[in-house]
Amino acid sequence: MTLQINGLSRRFGGLKAVNDVTTSIADRAIHSIIGPNGAGKTTLFNLVTGALAPDAGRISFQGQDITGWTPERLAGIGIARTFQRTSIFKDLPVVENVALSIRSRRGMNRSLMRSAATERSIDVEARDILAWVGLSSKEHIRAGSLAHGFQRALDIAIGLALKPKIILMDEPLAGMSRGDRETVATLITRLREEMGLAIVVVEHDVGMVMRLSDRITVMQHGKVIAEGPPAAVREDEAVKNAYLHGNFAA
Amino acid sequence: MTDAVVLQSKNLAGERAPSRRPYLLAMIILAVLGATLPFWVTNSPFLLILASHAVVAAIVALSLDLLTGNTGLLSFGHAAWYGFGAYAAGLLSKNFSSEILVILPLTVMAASLTALAIGAILVRQIGKTFAILTLALSQIFYALVFVFSDRTGGEDGLQGVPIITAFGQTVASPEAWYWLLYGVLVASLAGALYLRTTPLGRAWLAIKENTERARFIGINTGALKLIAYVFSAGLASLAGALFVLFNGAVSPDVLHWFESGKILMYVVLGGVGTIVGPIFGAAAFTLTEHYVSSVTDAWLIYFGGLFVLIIIVAPGGLFGIAGSLYARLAAGRETRS
Ligand SMILES: Nc1ncnc2c1ncn2[C@@H]1O[C@H](COP(=O)(O)OP(=O)(O)O)[C@@H](O)[C@H]1O
Ligand SMILES: [Mg+2]
Repeated sequence: MTLQINGLSRRFGGLKAVNDVTTSIADRAIHSIIGPNGAGKTTLFNLVTGALAPDAGRISFQGQDITGWTPERLAGIGIARTFQRTSIFKDLPVVENVALSIRSRRGMNRSLMRSAATERSIDVEARDILAWVGLSSKEHIRAGSLAHGFQRALDIAIGLALKPKIILMDEPLAGMSRGDRETVATLITRLREEMGLAIVVVEHDVGMVMRLSDRITVMQHGKVIAEGPPAAVREDEAVKNAYLHGNFAA
Repeated sequence: MTDAVVLQSKNLAGERAPSRRPYLLAMIILAVLGATLPFWVTNSPFLLILASHAVVAAIVALSLDLLTGNTGLLSFGHAAWYGFGAYAAGLLSKNFSSEILVILPLTVMAASLTALAIGAILVRQIGKTFAILTLALSQIFYALVFVFSDRTGGEDGLQGVPIITAFGQTVASPEAWYWLLYGVLVASLAGALYLRTTPLGRAWLAIKENTERARFIGINTGALKLIAYVFSAGLASLAGALFVLFNGAVSPDVLHWFESGKILMYVVLGGVGTIVGPIFGAAAFTLTEHYVSSVTDAWLIYFGGLFVLIIIVAPGGLFGIAGSLYARLAAGRETRS
């Protein structure tokens, strides 16, 4: 198992946003997390990536206990994420967004050395990653000027530049056109096939989730109400109830 | 909004960014004018002293831009480190050594170590809290001058700073002082511009732009902010040290919140984060302050108004205005030709 989550809980005041969640993410898995708005999916991501500290429970990654680690430390051991609201460095050129991530991975954040050779190799690597997510020829554009779909792709590229073992994507398809959604879906599959990543995706498009995922975790009111391969989750009674008024059948 | 703003011209035929050559040329001319100033003002020594004060202000403005322009941390109490440097160097010169090559390193070291300890707490705060704590810190330093008034001179200020030596030679002439200060300014500017191009400088900009994202790509934002804070405090203390040695005395006013406000104004006036801009902001402010305050007592009101105006109409500061004017002129030329 790449990521193991045990009895994880986090409350906000009286609200149990994540309530005793236990699950695990396998190596090279595409693992979707679905559930209605407010189910606690983003909070779960925040707990796993160190943005929030849990009130109870443990998280381990490749056998190592990482509960309570900071985001910067988690990034260092190969846990990357993208954000529900796209999070990039808007005023910097596209290529610099990715280069920052590469320098960070190479441990250069405090370096006062300016080496043309190193910067060239970083530039080459950054362009490779950008090509990979479909952003070739946009390297020198200000990131904030990219169209919405491209900004999402850049958010993913920034994460990939960490050479992570697992990437958590919070609603990567939200607000995208049909065509763009297909592009990102293909990208997610390729991440697993070609880079060997484990991918955790929060997504509302149930049709897409069924098609992409190896495994699905269904959350409601902070709790896991069902988990299993797509076919099993589709038939689950609790899930059918939770989505009675939703688009689950779509 | 434009669809795609092209930031660099290479590889993109037909979409050239305005050439940097005239900009560089202007900088070189200004730098040479600055360096040769003592030859231009030979019959009015007062002007040279005023210019020296402007250069000190420019160094301290640059020091604040190292922090605010690089990491986005806003300081309302930057005079704390300027004043720290002034008092530390003044006391050292009176009690320990009059050799500038001893005083300056000791002062900067003391300020940096103190800033490291205090900054470790400060940089964990965000936004407003940080700004208010920096103000509180400067007020504490201010109060300390009065608590230890038997050593610091209290309200009367620290008087009788001896004439200092460099490599054993006394430094007394206004020209020598001007060149010394100007040399420090140019060296600090070169250092700040270099920093901007290093991985550390790039990571700082990432923090300024999106601290949350920076953390999630593994940048230790707390540690990097602390480095910026220490660099900034160290350079501000150097400016303070040079000021007291040049001026021969220092009053507690250098630690007053009003001094902090002025330093912040230099930076905002010149353009936050432009590195070069705050230097012009400081020079413009110092010269205008001198001439306007001799004409009217109400000069502060005018400055307040100007400050508000700049923030509203030109958040990029003087440097921003110059930059966009130049870009517009260059664009105009291209469409005509
Ligand atoms: N920082 C926070 N402070 C207070 N309440 C929060 C916070 N973050 C999330 N919540 C609440 O926790 C619940 C779960 O939110 P979230 O994890 O964003 O759900 P999802 O991503 O599944 O839509 C919601 O009721 C939300 O309002
Ligand atoms: Mg969410």
